[in-house]
Amino acid sequence: MVHDTNERTHHILIVDDEELIVLAMRKYFEGLGYRVDAAHELEEAQALLANRAYDLVIADLRLTGIGGVEGLQIVSDVHQRHAHTRVILLSAFGTPEIERESYNRGADAFLHKPKAMMEIANVAMNLLEQS
Amino acid sequence: MSESALNRILQPGGITPVYQPLFRAAGATIRMHGLECLSRGPRGTNFESANVLFEYVRLKREESLVDRACVAAALRGASSLPQGLALTINVHASTLGRDHAFLPFLTSTAAATGIELSRVTVDIVEHAPPWDGVSFLAAIAQLRDLGATIALDDVGLGQSNFKMLLDVKPDYLKLDRYFVESCAHDRERRAVIAALQQLAREFHAELVAEGVTTKEDAETLQQLGITLMQGFFFAEPLTLEQAQAFFRG
Repeated sequence: MVHDTNERTHHILIVDDEELIVLAMRKYFEGLGYRVDAAHELEEAQALLANRAYDLVIADLRLTGIGGVEGLQIVSDVHQRHAHTRVILLSAFGTPEIERESYNRGADAFLHKPKAMMEIANVAMNLLEQS
Repeated sequence: MSESALNRILQPGGITPVYQPLFRAAGATIRMHGLECLSRGPRGTNFESANVLFEYVRLKREESLVDRACVAAALRGASSLPQGLALTINVHASTLGRDHAFLPFLTSTAAATGIELSRVTVDIVEHAPPWDGVSFLAAIAQLRDLGATIALDDVGLGQSNFKMLLDVKPDYLKLDRYFVESCAHDRERRAVIAALQQLAREFHAELVAEGVTTKEDAETLQQLGITLMQGFFFAEPLTLEQAQAFFRG
């Protein structure tokens, strides 16, 4: 699927505490023609969401150490502030309960890691086309 | 895992001061009154935006640490600028209410940079509780004893309520750009500004208009009796190097 660069440039926020993942995703999505911001922790993402509107947020479920589910908080924050913003949650640790909870809070997709960048991009582009 | 953003903000050079000129406009005569010290976070990060920087800091509840870093960077830079200029520094209400070592820090930083506190206006930002109201008011009194003047930020918005006015009795009320923008063409905005101007007079305080971007708005504000103004119509915030070059003339 090819991103139509004639459309308004969609703005994406990537949230992950792993710098290499952020760099790879930023490069990939910028290469597709999107504007990309990145945050590495929950509060940084929240500060950006308080000041900027995004079309799509791609967030890792776990942003701190063992057992974190900060991604769920991001899903809630997004839907409190920006009803039109789509959210993809990524997780290597997601249980069925957490996945259900993410959809309850308003996530548009829950993807289990590892996932090829192209698969994430396809889900992202489908969501952006629908929005 | 990436380095904590807070560490990057607090490391030496993490905060860059910029200086927003404040002007006194009387008729056609406009002269510089002072500089408001603003802060930008580390270059190339999301925190270059002051709004993102301070939202993050408040979410982390680290206002005091970052206020100290901002004040230190601002006064250090201002020490190379003309001595007569009034300086405004921004400090969170929570810092004054919780950090009992902040005033000694401010005093020693001012002394180390050769800046008299009588030149300094402390602009109190983000007044939302919870913080210790008694400690906060004691800090305000101490600041006045030290010779500083007090400004209340964002008057008319959010937590800048009448209780704060009564408690703090500020020397300056900062009028948010929300009320200033397009006031020349908006009767209701002018009515709000006139009411706040009357309130300021009753408190023996002075209104400062922020975010003045057009000549029409500046003239309208003057007609309403407001003479202290800042905003892009007069000047954009200056880096330290730009400010030094400006004053070298």
